[in-house]
Amino acid sequence: MEFEFKGNRLKFDKELSNLDKLVLKFVKVLDAQHVDYVIISGYIAILFGRSRNTEDVDLFVEEMPKEQFILLWNALGEAGFECINAGAAESAYEEYLKDQLAIRFAVLGTIEPNFELKFPKTKYNRYSLKNKLFVELNGEELRTSELELQIAFKLYLGADKDLEDARHLYKVFKEHLNIGLMQAHIQALGVAKQAERILWKDKYQS
Amino acid sequence: MERQIPKLTPKDRLEMAKEKQRNMRQRMEFVDLHAEWLRKTPNKVWSKQQKVLLDP
Repeated sequence: MEFEFKGNRLKFDKELSNLDKLVLKFVKVLDAQHVDYVIISGYIAILFGRSRNTEDVDLFVEEMPKEQFILLWNALGEAGFECINAGAAESAYEEYLKDQLAIRFAVLGTIEPNFELKFPKTKYNRYSLKNKLFVELNGEELRTSELELQIAFKLYLGADKDLEDARHLYKVFKEHLNIGLMQAHIQALGVAKQAERILWKDKYQS
Repeated sequence: MERQIPKLTPKDRLEMAKEKQRNMRQRMEFVDLHAEWLRKTPNKVWSKQQKVLLDP
């Protein structure tokens, strides 16, 4: 795998899957609307080569006033996306986003893959939005959670696929990670035992 | 015909737990193998193969 990784920027090229193309199309609308976002889901592991698929791409978007959200809603509609769990911008904003619930957008007439959007709620949600990795993929930008947090958070989530994603990202990027930062996230999230089992040993021991 | 749902003994449960652990270990071994392959494989090659999986 060839990439350039410096600070909070990672640049690489790959043959794009339909999912990659869709993600780039979706975040282009967010960029055009000047909406800050961070992708936080399993898509990050897939972006970096993991051999699995996903039905959703999770993102935090910065909290915004209703008027700005309506503009975003309309722009997503014009780009061919529709919200699949709320019928109108007003209710999506008031009954979902403001209530810390997620809204999901998919390509018109489809249900998956879909983009799950939420306003940040917890300290870690806000941290991930503030401390992003800027990925330049085939010359286009997308923003993901920093890898050190993504790995620690996958350990915290703890389903088999999350643990596999954590090990995948660690194994692919281990020389490029800030291990001190990752340890700090691991401590803060209380997943030292999981890290011991999933990350630190060269050979996985069940 | 009525289904005969298996009645699990403690020994059966232990065997199943061991199988679950074995499966997880094998999946992790594959994750390692795959990550190692990715690291030494040009982007053009691995992403083409990934595309086959993602875009059937």
